[in-house]
Amino acid sequence: MASQSQLRGRKGKVPALSGTTLQPDDDDDAHSGSSVYQRRQSSLERTLDSDKASVAVVGLLTGLAFVTRFYKINNPDQVVFDEVHFGKFASHYIQREYYFDVHPPFAKLLFGLAGWFVGFDGHFQFENIGDSYTDAHVPYVGMRALPAILGSLTVPIVYAIMKESGYSTVVAAFSAVLILFDNAHVAQSRLILLDATLIFCMSLTVYSYIRFRKYRFKEFSQEWWGWMIATGVFMACTWASKVNGILTVVCIGCAVLVDLWDLLDYRKSSMERFWNHFFARAVGLILVPLTVYLFFFWVHFAVLTNSGPGDTFMSPAFQETLRGNELLLNSQEIRYYDTVTIKHKNTKVLLHSHYERYPLKYDDGRISSQGQQVTGYGHPDSNNHWQVIPTKALPETGRARVVRHDDVVQLLHVNTQTYLLTHDVASPLMPTNQEFTTWPKDDHTRYNDTLFQLHLIDAHDGEAWKSKSGHFRLVHVPTKVSMWTYQNQLPDWAFKQQEINGNKNAAEKTATWYVDEIVDSEADPSLPDRTGDAPAKEPKSMNFFKKFGELQILMLQHNAGLTASHPYASSPINWPFLLSGISFWTNADENKQIYLIGNLIGWWACVTAIAVFIGIIGADLLARRRNIEPIPDPVRNRLWNNTGFFVLVWAVHYFPFFLMSRQLFVHHYLPSHIASALVAGSVLHYILSDDTLNYPISVRGDKMQPRARTYADLGMRGPAALLGFTFALFCLFVYIAPLTYGTPGLDGQQVNARRLLSTWTLHFAAKATDGA
Amino acid sequence: MNPTVRSRRPASPPLGFAPRYPHVREDHLDADARREAASKGLMRRDIGRKGYPPGGLNIASAEWKVMFIIVIIAVLVRMFRLPQPNSVVFDEVHFGKFASRYIKAQYFVDVHPPLAKLLITLAGFIFGYDGNFDFKDIAKPYENVPYVAMRALPALMGVATIPLAYLTLRALECRATTAVFASLFLTFENGLVTQSRHILLDSPLVFFTALTVFVWTGFCNEDKHEPFTESWWTWLILSGLSLGAVVSCKWVGLFTIATVGVGTLKQLWLLLGDLRVPPRLWMKHFLARALCLIVLPILFYMSMFGIHFLILSNSGDGDGFMSSEFQHTLSGRGMADTYADVAIGSTVTLRHVNTQGGYLHSHPHNYPGGSNQQQVTLYPHRDSNNDWRIINATSDVDPEGDIEYDQPLEYVTSGMRLKLRHISTQKYLHSHEIRPPVSDVDFQNEVSAYGMPHFVGDANDDWVVEIEKGEKRDKESGKRLRTLRTHFRLRHALTGCYLFSHKVKLPEWGYEQQEVTCNKNAVRDNSLWYIETNWHPDLPPDAPKVNYRLPGFLGKFLELQQVMWTTNAGLTDRHTYDSRPSSWPRLRRGINFWVKDHRQIYLIGNPTVWWLSTFAVLAYAAVRGFLVLRAKRGYRDFENTKVVKYDTLCGFLFVGWLLHYFPFFLMGRQLFLHHYFPALYFAVLLCAGVFDLVTANLRPRIRLQIAAVLIIVAVWNFSYLSPIAYGNPWTKSKCNSARWLKTWDFNWWVACRLVF
Repeated sequence: MASQSQLRGRKGKVPALSGTTLQPDDDDDAHSGSSVYQRRQSSLERTLDSDKASVAVVGLLTGLAFVTRFYKINNPDQVVFDEVHFGKFASHYIQREYYFDVHPPFAKLLFGLAGWFVGFDGHFQFENIGDSYTDAHVPYVGMRALPAILGSLTVPIVYAIMKESGYSTVVAAFSAVLILFDNAHVAQSRLILLDATLIFCMSLTVYSYIRFRKYRFKEFSQEWWGWMIATGVFMACTWASKVNGILTVVCIGCAVLVDLWDLLDYRKSSMERFWNHFFARAVGLILVPLTVYLFFFWVHFAVLTNSGPGDTFMSPAFQETLRGNELLLNSQEIRYYDTVTIKHKNTKVLLHSHYERYPLKYDDGRISSQGQQVTGYGHPDSNNHWQVIPTKALPETGRARVVRHDDVVQLLHVNTQTYLLTHDVASPLMPTNQEFTTWPKDDHTRYNDTLFQLHLIDAHDGEAWKSKSGHFRLVHVPTKVSMWTYQNQLPDWAFKQQEINGNKNAAEKTATWYVDEIVDSEADPSLPDRTGDAPAKEPKSMNFFKKFGELQILMLQHNAGLTASHPYASSPINWPFLLSGISFWTNADENKQIYLIGNLIGWWACVTAIAVFIGIIGADLLARRRNIEPIPDPVRNRLWNNTGFFVLVWAVHYFPFFLMSRQLFVHHYLPSHIASALVAGSVLHYILSDDTLNYPISVRGDKMQPRARTYADLGMRGPAALLGFTFALFCLFVYIAPLTYGTPGLDGQQVNARRLLSTWTLHFAAKATDGA
Repeated sequence: MNPTVRSRRPASPPLGFAPRYPHVREDHLDADARREAASKGLMRRDIGRKGYPPGGLNIASAEWKVMFIIVIIAVLVRMFRLPQPNSVVFDEVHFGKFASRYIKAQYFVDVHPPLAKLLITLAGFIFGYDGNFDFKDIAKPYENVPYVAMRALPALMGVATIPLAYLTLRALECRATTAVFASLFLTFENGLVTQSRHILLDSPLVFFTALTVFVWTGFCNEDKHEPFTESWWTWLILSGLSLGAVVSCKWVGLFTIATVGVGTLKQLWLLLGDLRVPPRLWMKHFLARALCLIVLPILFYMSMFGIHFLILSNSGDGDGFMSSEFQHTLSGRGMADTYADVAIGSTVTLRHVNTQGGYLHSHPHNYPGGSNQQQVTLYPHRDSNNDWRIINATSDVDPEGDIEYDQPLEYVTSGMRLKLRHISTQKYLHSHEIRPPVSDVDFQNEVSAYGMPHFVGDANDDWVVEIEKGEKRDKESGKRLRTLRTHFRLRHALTGCYLFSHKVKLPEWGYEQQEVTCNKNAVRDNSLWYIETNWHPDLPPDAPKVNYRLPGFLGKFLELQQVMWTTNAGLTDRHTYDSRPSSWPRLRRGINFWVKDHRQIYLIGNPTVWWLSTFAVLAYAAVRGFLVLRAKRGYRDFENTKVVKYDTLCGFLFVGWLLHYFPFFLMGRQLFLHHYFPALYFAVLLCAGVFDLVTANLRPRIRLQIAAVLIIVAVWNFSYLSPIAYGNPWTKSKCNSARWLKTWDFNWWVACRLVF
């Protein structure tokens, strides 16, 4: 938070470097008041900043927050927007059925807990937007109350952040009001959505970090440790609420790096002190959060013990830990001479062959072997049947007839009595890959080319090959290519079936197959026993860290894969200016709708404040380059260290979205919006305060000299600006409220009147063109 | 010491007072050069005459000889067996084809700006290319094409890059040995050699990048000495022109602009901190740079497009990318003037505004599914099947579809209810609650042509005109339908959906024409139409007529930029030999350029050069990071002149490397190894800088010996991989042993495929 410290000229206060004794940092607001414009605090200011007044203000704000968040919370009594997902996940927790989602579990666990607490039995499935809760007797109000409470509590936290940063009651209230009367925050926290939890935890993280920083002169004290660990814990909660909570971690990480960089300065600390700080932070801000994050996943796995809709995302080993899982129940060991069908894991086509042959010459002039075609086919067919033939002597009966990991086998195509084969001929569509074909059973001239080795994935030596769960790669013994297929159709001569070829990268991840079913086993009379009703199997156990690692990777992959376009997705550049919202819910009968949109005045004030801040800092940098000092040092320090931190929070929660290609929505901006409200408050302070500020705000160290206090004084302008702004915000809030609360219904003209920007796509608007 | 005194404002010495960095002195010259100079007694005077080193051109005469020899070597390496292979290689498919288009003056669209293609065309044109070869496939033999001359142009530019590298390093105050080292490394870089031997754009790009770096370095040297002299202006203007040339080869040149931009910002920031420079003088500095480094490149870039448009005057296969207005500037695409006023009874053709799909069209073929009624499509060419007659739906419709033409003209206004009668098949434009064949979604309805002679039609044939906007200069066009000037929507009267089209092609049964539907949630832009031709028998011959308003140069230029941008962003398909940026510095994989008759050309770099340069980049970053940490702990490395000198030198090259490399990580389009070449150029120079630093304290002879060893290794490595650079015959065993990484996928068996 103090990267500028080297640039600042100090007024003759540079202490001599003296070993390990604690020295006041000069990055701090630690300045004698001499350069601050001194003015006596007016009586109004003193009254407002007294503890009693502050408590009264925060009490009033909190009360209003609860009123705005809980007003008609039972409306609509229907499933709204992403309640489809998060409501469903809550019911899965209650039913203890395994599900898969891209977001970490903390916020969803809270919903599950809330649902359980209010007596939700988990039978309602939240299938479609608009399904009625009342008809299904779902205690949805209790579940919605959770985000509403957290959303309401965010308002006093914002107030507290500003207060702790040394701003006066008026300025702190201003920031809080920006959140209090913001339609987007209200709409988002009245529904079963993750963002309220995310924003609550994120603002707590910021609050704790500021408290922690204020103890920097009493380093390694109890409070210092306490607030640091609190920062770490809340940070982990933010991260565990939603994937984009990781940005909060990055943000605190940046702040800590700047802090450490500052401590590294040879004028400030010895290396020993530096390493102490370094390791303390490693514990408090890396180890503790990681443990908390893992703990939530541990709870997640501990709760979800039954098979559910998320099974198929997971690896076979994982699936077998779930009670009632299909793999657990139906997976069979495969024995030699079994006839099986083989399915490709990614594209779900079956290994297929038929009498037709490859054409001699392809369109591009290359030449084939004219062998029998081997293709991928999506439907059940007797041409999908392959028999597993051993390449070694087998005993008549017993366990030795089971096919195992690394066995070399031949695959006999049952209908044409030919063996699967591949050789050094280019495949029809990819000159770099090998052609797959078959060879008559009785012709032994190419025996070697029909040998394939079975590589079970993640298997140990001698592991048995199982249907369904035994994912494998089929590696050709002489040429080491792996049987592979991908989404590409062969031309008409192969009936547009999918191409199968040999991939030279034998470790290719997408070259994974599994046995879909054991069709027939006439060579082995024991089959009826194997496929008959097996006794209910006990789920297996699996190491928690393996489970966690697997799930984490899947979550990242699926998150990146969410690229399908959505009608209300928007690009990040629109967000600060509030150019578009999201339609959450509509009711055509009464012309009601919920449209997520912020308070235009508030959002534009915030974005203006950020622009003003950048302007001030830029102008100051240029001016100082020319040796002009337009801002007194203490004020500049506060601007950099405090407002700069808020801007960092804003930027880190905003700019990374530009790099993401997944679906993005305006509610992804809400954490940034909180930060921008903080910036708006401090910029307001800067404008109104005539360079006065509350000082000192940090806790004094034991060996430091007490310093003269100064006070911020906004005079009458402060309360006047606050009241004016609050009134304007409140009016606009009430005006847009029908879109936020989904009631009352609006007719076409009213909808048109509420469409403040032409880019808002509201429903039920009156057609302007009709009569014209 | 009080450290904060220095940190208040980085000191910058007054202009013309003292050199900011140590100048070239004897110890920066090669020992041989120094001895030679001293023996002639020229040494001090040579430098002292002007009092400063004017850049890379002020070198001893012996060095010119060395450079001449290096250039000869470069010519031999680049030009060796240039006619081989005598068939089309890799992207010659595109760039050869574009040369043909230029010569035949047929319009085409490419994602790259025109300068390099114009130069290649010029080479072909001088040597008598007639533009008749089609460059259809890789490995197609050349017939009647002066392809050697066309290849010689990039090859010569590749050769010219070598002395530029030499001079740049000399201008950056490196020793002659270092400059020889770097220029030979570049000479024997297999990738640059392969790339410059074919009709490709990267060799001109690298050349102009190198030129820019050289001229910019020259300018910086001038600027340190004395600004606003004649030679200062010369170097600055040359920098601007050179920047224009880079960006006119490929848009990658924008990274070069960024590199120079960073350098300029640094200069201006330092000047701003120098309180001896009054604001007025600072503004002069600022404006001079803005003029020469921003305005000049833009003008250069635009003039290239001016030439481009001048040459491509005829219609060609790039027409379809451009707007109708643009197309009408091409000869062979013109249209006769047409009546402006649209009235009931007019025969019209309708065009879709947002896509270049063409005209609303119908033909006597039916949809294979849905209603099985007659197809309605968008068709890009003029045809009598595009003609529709406007009929008033509210008055009684004559089943024959003929209008009583003796009535007064009734203009079409917004809100009017119409039927559109397809003249050649006598059917009406029709829509109903049936899903369209391709876009089979809830909010889309099928559009068909329905009816028969003597049939009045039903209410599903009725469409309501909604005028969206007219043209500002034609006030009437906002109120009623005017040909070409009015954009309007057609709302289906019964279902409320809008006549709509998008870039979706019908399958073979629809002759791959563009789909037309009726969309209830229509995107505004895709439901806009306008009338292109209009004829009405009652209009007098002297009635007002209109035609397309032809765009001026600026309009054409901006439109083409936009088309290039969208086409470029759309190149996201995977290519067999594409690669991601992270694999480039490691040289993980090359590109297969050409395979024929058991020979192969495969683009792969010289591993010695490549990996040494990457190592130099990493080493610089690591050492610099370490020094910053040391400075934080109070060590005063950055007050050492040697550290400052090499940090400035390497820092500049490092920033160049960074800006030519990292932006690729942000690009989603397909990327190839050759996109790394400009960055490689910087990396090799940086490698030379590191070499210069490491050998700084050695005796000249030892330094020369180390350089010689490294150069010999590079040359050996070059010759080891040269068969796939030149397409020479190779043996299987040599080929297999040359595959150092298993990801290098050149193969004897790709070239020597067994044939069954």
